Amino acid sequence: MSATTKRSWTGRVRERAVGALPPEKLLPDKQPAYMASWIYVFGVLSLASFVVIIASGSILTLKGPGWWHFTGTGHFFNSIHLWSVELFFFFMVIHLWGKYWMAAWRGGRAQVWMTGAVAFIVAVPCALTGYVSQQNFDAQWIATQAKDGLNAAGVGAFFNVTNFGQMYSYHVLLLPLAVATLVAAHILLVRKHGIVPPFQLSDAGEPRATNAMPVPDSEPARAAGPGSGDRPTPVPKPAPAPAHGPAEPATIPAEPVP
Amino acid sequence: MIAAIFNLNHPAHTVHWHFFTMSVSNVVVILLMLVVFAVAIVAPFPRHGAGRERR
Repeated sequence: MSATTKRSWTGRVRERAVGALPPEKLLPDKQPAYMASWIYVFGVLSLASFVVIIASGSILTLKGPGWWHFTGTGHFFNSIHLWSVELFFFFMVIHLWGKYWMAAWRGGRAQVWMTGAVAFIVAVPCALTGYVSQQNFDAQWIATQAKDGLNAAGVGAFFNVTNFGQMYSYHVLLLPLAVATLVAAHILLVRKHGIVPPFQLSDAGEPRATNAMPVPDSEPARAAGPGSGDRPTPVPKPAPAPAHGPAEPATIPAEPVP
Repeated sequence: MIAAIFNLNHPAHTVHWHFFTMSVSNVVVILLMLVVFAVAIVAPFPRHGAGRERR
């Protein structure tokens, strides 16, 4: 490293970024074998729905309420936007259930869990502000109902859901920006820490997978991410099953997933 | 204007259980999520390499 790079903040940022997320971790071409389950697809399904939401919402923003209410193409994109939101929450809830029951915060993944949970929470007002920005009677009904709720919660002075301008600004800029930022952070953290492995079968008294290497303790499992290539070194004889705690099968070999 | 598949010209049907009230449509969505969650856990995932064996 040159002295110039050491002095430059851009160089320091680059080194930290590449150190935390080397290219083989950021864009892996292999995934662990335990990912061969449908429960692991709901994260990317949520992400795909989010991309459709942003794309269809951008088109609606460009064209305006007259277009989405009174033209066939506008109706179509309005429906695309609505149903992608429905699917986003549908997939995100199943993703949440799956990750909750496999305790996805294990192995130093607390930040992954927290960014996902906060993204879910922020997505709720993002959707609500969309429902009240429709510019129709449905929006008026939802806004007056939400106003009662927000007043009851004591925050009605800060969020006026009957104010179209305020709600539309929240919906097309502030909240999508917050959700997109949280989703990006969530994905980068997943890439950094790796997909959480399932609980070891040996914890439940089941036989260990024959191709699994023993885990001396739970610490090396933290590093076992997809494509990370930093699985723990195998030892000659199998280690006994851990007496307590959710040890992770960090030794399940990676195999390419198309 | 194409009509809705279901007749929407009435108040929503709701499910009441003590203090708990929820629209039937929301109940259906929640049940559907539970079903998809269960299927995602038990349904076999296509193994990588299965296609290569046929070659």
